[in-house]
Amino acid sequence: MGDQRQGKSVLTLKNVTKRFSGLVAVDNLSLEMKERTIHALIGPNGAGKSTAINMITGLLPLTEGEIYHGDTKISGMNAHQIAQTRCSRTFQNLKLYPSMTVKENLMMGGMMDMKQGFFPFIFSPSKALKEEKMVSEKAEQILEFIGIQDLAKEYPSNMPYGKQKLAELARSLMSDPRLLFLDEPAAGLNPSERVEFVNIMMKVFDSGIDIFLIEHNMDVIMNISHYITVISFGSKIAEGTPEEIQQDPVVIKAYLGDRYKQNMARGAAHAESR
Amino acid sequence: MQVLIQLLITGIAMGFIYALVSIEYTLIWNATGLLNFSHDKFILFGAYMFAGSYVLGLGLPPVLAILCTLITMFLFGVLSALIIFNPLSKLSTNLFAVIGTVILGRIITESVRLIWGPLPFTLDNFLRGSITIGSVVVSKSHIVIIIVCSLITIGLQLFFKMTKMGKAMRCVSENKVAASLMGIHVPMNIAFTVGLSAIICATIGILVIPIFNVELQMSSMIGLKGFACGVIGGFGYLPGAILGGILLGIVEIFGSMLIPSVYKDCLSFVLLIIFLLIKPSGILGNKR
Amino acid sequence: MKSKKRVILISIGAILFAMILPLFVSNNYHLNLMIQVIINVIIVVGLNFITGLTGQMNLGTAGIFAMGAYTSSLLATKLGINPWICFIMAIIMGVVIGVGLGYPSLRVSGVYLALTTIGFSEIVRILMTNLTDITGGALGVTGIPVFSIFGHKFQTNKEIYYLYLAIAIFLIYNAYRIVNSKWGRAFLAVKDNPDAVEAGGINIATIKIMAFTLTAIYTTIAGSLYSHYVGFINPSAYNLEYSINYVVMLVIGGIGSVPGNILGAILVTVTPELLRFMENYYWLVFSIITLLFVIFLPNGIISLFKERPKFIKERGK
Repeated sequence: MGDQRQGKSVLTLKNVTKRFSGLVAVDNLSLEMKERTIHALIGPNGAGKSTAINMITGLLPLTEGEIYHGDTKISGMNAHQIAQTRCSRTFQNLKLYPSMTVKENLMMGGMMDMKQGFFPFIFSPSKALKEEKMVSEKAEQILEFIGIQDLAKEYPSNMPYGKQKLAELARSLMSDPRLLFLDEPAAGLNPSERVEFVNIMMKVFDSGIDIFLIEHNMDVIMNISHYITVISFGSKIAEGTPEEIQQDPVVIKAYLGDRYKQNMARGAAHAESR
Repeated sequence: MQVLIQLLITGIAMGFIYALVSIEYTLIWNATGLLNFSHDKFILFGAYMFAGSYVLGLGLPPVLAILCTLITMFLFGVLSALIIFNPLSKLSTNLFAVIGTVILGRIITESVRLIWGPLPFTLDNFLRGSITIGSVVVSKSHIVIIIVCSLITIGLQLFFKMTKMGKAMRCVSENKVAASLMGIHVPMNIAFTVGLSAIICATIGILVIPIFNVELQMSSMIGLKGFACGVIGGFGYLPGAILGGILLGIVEIFGSMLIPSVYKDCLSFVLLIIFLLIKPSGILGNKR
Repeated sequence: MKSKKRVILISIGAILFAMILPLFVSNNYHLNLMIQVIINVIIVVGLNFITGLTGQMNLGTAGIFAMGAYTSSLLATKLGINPWICFIMAIIMGVVIGVGLGYPSLRVSGVYLALTTIGFSEIVRILMTNLTDITGGALGVTGIPVFSIFGHKFQTNKEIYYLYLAIAIFLIYNAYRIVNSKWGRAFLAVKDNPDAVEAGGINIATIKIMAFTLTAIYTTIAGSLYSHYVGFINPSAYNLEYSINYVVMLVIGGIGSVPGNILGAILVTVTPELLRFMENYYWLVFSIITLLFVIFLPNGIISLFKERPKFIKERGK
């Protein structure tokens, strides 16, 4: 199947490889993500999805290959430099700051745009207060956008898992990302929380942020993503639209299993009936 | 040539002392994840107990006095494990471990000062004198140190490889949850480990009496240098601790030929920092 | 903003109390103790940045303090420079040490960092003892001049107390602001979850070095103030025990909270003096009390007053 997609690329991986002392976690992976799409990266457990996302966001160094965000080469940059190209992310196992309230978590997420240096901070407290107030208001807006404004003063450890996930999503929005990486966003959520999360995710996408996600849950993937890349044992085995992926015999064999087709059909019917 | 051999023997003897110090706190580190900052005070306590009470106070013959010291120190180790190390090892940050063990050290020092008084003293006939082998003159205490330390090192290896208790201790240091699922009583195991560590501390204390005299500051330097050896050899790894100790002993002795000997003590800390910055895992660290 | 009002009221009350206190104290020994309290408060508030908030273990306080004290006093006695300029040089020394110690903290953490800082501190002590030509060796530096403003020398303990109190209030005020600003949040965040900080576009290295530098500056300032107050310093006191003492103050008061730091510094400095009546046993009793505090109240005295999430949790929760 050829790549029929139009539009500018926001994320390009060229022959990306990651080796952990002999073990090849990601093997010669290339992919292109287009503007205004939700792009999903799927694969069985241990396929190298998390490794891939950690390489893109700079938490792991690449062994080989190049990664571009738009026209900017981001491979080789530090994680914080990559984030400054307006990439933001959430984590699979949640990395909130437990000793801060949700709002403080968000304000920390917005620190990148608080430009006041240390000496100005010491010598002009009023400007510092102004900046603090700005970021505080922004945090409140985003909390409201996500719909968890009532949890602003709560500490993460006192919140249910689903709300913690939302809080992390909110924090990742604080740095005004153009491209958002979601690492297993639906993992650990119950069905109703999952619906809530997907709705909010769509809202985020509609506000102009492109989304790249890794996901296990097929309902979520097939319903919301525009384009899917499938990897297995570190290498790409297929890519295409959700329909193409569902039909692809290689994918079905390697990942979904023979029984999955029926399940999928049922899932689609279920989604339509809603 | 004779001088060189004499220096080498002195270096190795000191190195073995450092090695024992690193072994002693590595045992506790592996079992509890706590760095015992009071370990030099354990050494101090052992030395005072042996010299002050059992030899000078009760007039016991050395062998009996050593035995009594070791038993008392073992009980003391078990007790401090139950009261201090077990609760501290449950806290999530090592800040408290540091403070808790340091304060334990203070309590020991104060008790020692109150029981045996602040004045230094020594044992006149204990491991004094020297032996002449060929044309090389070696002090008796150095020979004893080398022999005793080698025996302890070998004994420990056998203990960990052969006995059930030793294997259980290795289990606990690998994974506490799994160990407790296997039916190992982890708190008791930790208590035993601390007791064992206290025995080694007491041995060190007794061995260094001829070198340092018995006084309140006798062990603080070897205590700190023991940490340096651990890092140089490979932290938390017993063979690394031994290698680091012996290496530091030799480097120090020959280093003091090149630089003024007052800076000898600096050497170990400079090495410590260099290793931490360049190879934090130590010489043998990556073998783990 | 009820809590803000309360903070202001409490601070004004505390400042007034600190200002009136010397009027009722005529005993020089007690004034000495109060000045020592001020110096300790500055150190602990500074230590809070790196050990309290950023969670990096610093056991090198003695070395940093000694560097500050020696920088200031040697410049004043050997070159006859005005103490205030020496004070500023001590601050610059703080920046140098902070950056120098901050770099190791990028590579090592936890116990390893603690050992690095201990190593640094020991090297400082050994050098101070043995570089006799420069530092006066074990005898130390004597005849360090006091501070003066417009020709007025701060000579009596009361004058020094008020001068140092003013400096301390300035430092505490700024520490409080830093702790409750984006910087304070960043320090906490580095302790909680460094990966998330990087993913938020913030360089951890900058944050850690900044925390270390702040700590070092506060400590060298305290060192400089101390040396110009007592008039003589010698290296023997600045060992590991000395460093640990400040960590104890930090923990007993409450990690991460500026009021807690102040409480801890005051209590740990004053309590041993209150126990003096026990004569030979006072230090033993005090040590046992601190041990009980560490085991039973790991979140510090401030946790009795304030609902904060527990800094210290049991493992596996």
